[in-house]
Amino acid sequence: MTTTKIISSLFLSALCATFFTSCESKDDSVESPEISTGVFVLNQGKFEANNAGLTYYDFATGTASTDVFSAKNNRGLGDTGQDMIKYGSNIYIAVYKSSIIEVVNIKTGMSTKSIPMKNAAGTSSSPRSLTSANGKVYIVLYDGHVTELDTLSLTLGKTIAVGANPDASVIVNNKLYVANTGGMSAVKDSTISVINLSSFTETKKITVNMNPGTIKADSYGDIYVVSKGNYGLIPGKFQRIEAGTDKVSDIDLKVQNFDIVGDQAYISNFDYDASWQAVNKTIALYDVKNEKLLKANIVNTEILKTPYCINVDPTSKDIYLGVSDYSNLGKMYCYAQDGTFKFSFATGLNPAKVVFISNN
Amino acid sequence: MLCVLFCNLLVSADEYENDSLHTRKLNTVTVNGYRLQIVRAVLPVQIYSEEDIRTLNAVNITDVVRNFSGVSVKDYGGIGGMKTVSVRGMGAQHTGVSYDGVTMSDIQSGQIDLGRFSLDNISEISLTNGQPNDIFQSARLFSSGGILCLKTKFIEYDKDKSFAGKVVLKTGSFGLLNPGIYLNKTFGEKWAFNLSTDAITANGKYRFLQHYGSNNSLSETLTRTNGDVKSIRSEVNGLYHFRQKESILVKANFFGSERGLPGSITYYNSDDSQQRLKDRLFFTQIHYENRVNEKFQHQYFARFNISDNHYTDKDAKYTDTDGILIDNYLQKEYYLSSSFQFKIIDPLFISASADWWYNDLNINSNVDFKDFQYPTRQTGLANVAAKYLTEKLTLGASLLYTLTREKVRTGFASPDREKLSPTVSFSYKLLENKELRIRAFFKNIFRLPTFNDLYYQEMGNHNLRPENANQYDIGFTYLETEIPFLSDLAIMADGYYNQVTDKIIAVPRDMFHWSMTNKDKVNIKGLDLSLKMNFKVGKSDLVSLKTNYSLQSAKDATAGSDNLGEQIPYTPLHSGSGSVSYIHRNWETGYNLMYSGVRWNGQMTDKTNRLDGYIIHSIFVSTTYKQWRVNAEIINLLNTQYEVVKFYPMPRRNFRISLTLNI
Repeated sequence: MTTTKIISSLFLSALCATFFTSCESKDDSVESPEISTGVFVLNQGKFEANNAGLTYYDFATGTASTDVFSAKNNRGLGDTGQDMIKYGSNIYIAVYKSSIIEVVNIKTGMSTKSIPMKNAAGTSSSPRSLTSANGKVYIVLYDGHVTELDTLSLTLGKTIAVGANPDASVIVNNKLYVANTGGMSAVKDSTISVINLSSFTETKKITVNMNPGTIKADSYGDIYVVSKGNYGLIPGKFQRIEAGTDKVSDIDLKVQNFDIVGDQAYISNFDYDASWQAVNKTIALYDVKNEKLLKANIVNTEILKTPYCINVDPTSKDIYLGVSDYSNLGKMYCYAQDGTFKFSFATGLNPAKVVFISNN
Repeated sequence: MLCVLFCNLLVSADEYENDSLHTRKLNTVTVNGYRLQIVRAVLPVQIYSEEDIRTLNAVNITDVVRNFSGVSVKDYGGIGGMKTVSVRGMGAQHTGVSYDGVTMSDIQSGQIDLGRFSLDNISEISLTNGQPNDIFQSARLFSSGGILCLKTKFIEYDKDKSFAGKVVLKTGSFGLLNPGIYLNKTFGEKWAFNLSTDAITANGKYRFLQHYGSNNSLSETLTRTNGDVKSIRSEVNGLYHFRQKESILVKANFFGSERGLPGSITYYNSDDSQQRLKDRLFFTQIHYENRVNEKFQHQYFARFNISDNHYTDKDAKYTDTDGILIDNYLQKEYYLSSSFQFKIIDPLFISASADWWYNDLNINSNVDFKDFQYPTRQTGLANVAAKYLTEKLTLGASLLYTLTREKVRTGFASPDREKLSPTVSFSYKLLENKELRIRAFFKNIFRLPTFNDLYYQEMGNHNLRPENANQYDIGFTYLETEIPFLSDLAIMADGYYNQVTDKIIAVPRDMFHWSMTNKDKVNIKGLDLSLKMNFKVGKSDLVSLKTNYSLQSAKDATAGSDNLGEQIPYTPLHSGSGSVSYIHRNWETGYNLMYSGVRWNGQMTDKTNRLDGYIIHSIFVSTTYKQWRVNAEIINLLNTQYEVVKFYPMPRRNFRISLTLNI
């Protein structure tokens, strides 16, 4: 190569290196948008693949940015994004395997603080689910504890013990209900720990079906639990814990996942065929006040892949159904209250939770 | 808990004489012997002799295997880390490993831990696509997609020297200390014994650069911990010659190790991995061989193999068992084989072999496997092969019959399998006075599901069918020994097309629960190129050059797949290796290059799954003085931070020194 050629190629590569980021990204505005009104989707990512992420869908522009957290913070969210809630001006994300709580500002999408969750021995306690009340965020930890986070100072407070491998949680009438799965034990657990938030102590355990997972409450104080059994001889169940009496009863419905807004529970269900593909995908409507099934399936358009999460917008009552095939990017379907398909957008891998935000 | 790493998977008395010229001649004869073998092979074979191995920056068998073309090694890093070998895109379980004629096996995971054999005890490592060229073998060697043959060396009878040996000491980065002793003794012409034993201890610590996202994102320098290893490898052999070509060999081999498994990197999680693995692997085999009569030869093998693996993990999540998980695995195998070879009319050889073996697996754990089914399997193989061998034309055909019978204590066993697998091959010398040949082969073979595939808790599927592989190959070989300045030149080029159907993969039911199923179809089109050259420089200096290049276009061909037409995980499109060494009197120095192109760590070939390509440069220098040899190496000279498997960072620049004393 001649000297001039060498110099010009060096110059060109230096030029490209300087503008490397813009050379790479296709459209800056889509990758790192301004956050206004829309939804955040927590992408769980694949376990041990460090690819949890945050998708932002904007209602006005109708575009989805697949990983807004990476774009705004110049680093990945971590490994296995397990739960996300909105409280005050922040989004709190429980990143399970990384064992951190990310506190993200709703307006900027930037992380205000990354709180490592460690137990007394200094190893990871692994956060699973988040709830909030009275200026605190309650963090359920897979090593069998619950801890509180003060949202003003963003410091951790007391830690109490619950059952084995607790997962989902819900707050009703100043009590925190935590589902103990016992997932890492020889025999899975079947209890719900009840914590009095004033004293922050566990007051009792309610026995339900084996391996309780999703747990939600209605405005009447009833608590609904989906359990998965032991993936073998013991099947899963959909149960109700009655407000006041704490009596447990079975509901004759097959439920994979659900959400409750107002007087209705929105139930996502499907079956597996012989090669573990999801079939018979439905969204059912259940009246939580009169405790009866309203409609077995409201959706009549095609749902691709496997339903992964269901969340309902408390203001518009729109239903968001996330789907995944566990290897490729996921998708979010949005339906109106009556089941009419409205729009869909691409998410990251394994969309696990939707949070509705408005910066206006 | 998700299935974690479960692979876990002759004395070479250096006759380095002071007369360097004599040594050179000896080497050339051996070198040419290998070259001819490679060039005349009807099924593509690549061979690294002891000499070749010395020019690679290799401390274990996998380091050598990495250099073959058509091979993808998945390396999890570290001295004790797991490494698996996949040949021509078919997957690691299609690679058979034969040690002195007997196929190693692991019924649980189907992966062999090559680290259990000491490289210093090996005289030859070869990789043959399809099956060995020599048809006088146990039936089991015909039952893999590709076969990696390891041969240990027994010293030949030498009336002047009945005792030989060497003592080796290696040290280097990661706190490595590896002493070893290799002894060989002959008693008269009939008896020979050898003993080889080495111990390894290393702390396995190294610093690495971790990016939290793409290469432009936030990064940190961290330390890889819990990668320490302590192990012992020993082998004894006793050989008795009834007559010149009739002998019986008894072998016993033990491998014991205790190591930490560092695990994959999790962003922002500073916990040290607490996973530990203790292995005790033992086997003993008897080999009787009779090659006295040219027209009729026979050999028999009997082997007993036991593997005991003990895995523990400390984690606060195991709330019911005081934060600890303990899994114990015990597997046994009993193996018998008989082979016969007949020379009917001169260029036609027929061989027949029959193998039978029995496997069982016991697992007990404090948390998992409460419903373990205690499977056992009996496998019977019968193979017939014919080879028509002349100077110009070689034709080969073989047919393998496989029968399996499986039993379980509770639940359902996998159905019994019965299969016929044919292979045909041919090679033709194109020119009268030049070693230029064209060759082709077709092989149909399968691999049976392992016990993990069938019976692993919550994941196993006892209805799994065997995974099928059809291989088509066409290629050229060329050997030139009469070029001026060149001592010899050998070229091998093969194009191939492999089809894997009923590929056994894990399909997710939900985030934490996967199930095994026969789902995928993979089509692999590839090219294996291999070149070896030796130049004479001046009176007695020698330059040796070896280079391998592989093209592997391995695409998902599953109907209806979202990733149809995309490259399958962990298979680079381009990869290769190169090695140059220079010998001057009693000095040898060399340079090695390892190249891997871009790969994907998942089925979706987009930027989130992309693994950058890398080039690793290494050098060595060695010198011999009387009975001593010193070898110093720098591996990864340019301090490149790379990963073979995503989130398992590989070490950057490191060094090694070894000292050998020949007795």
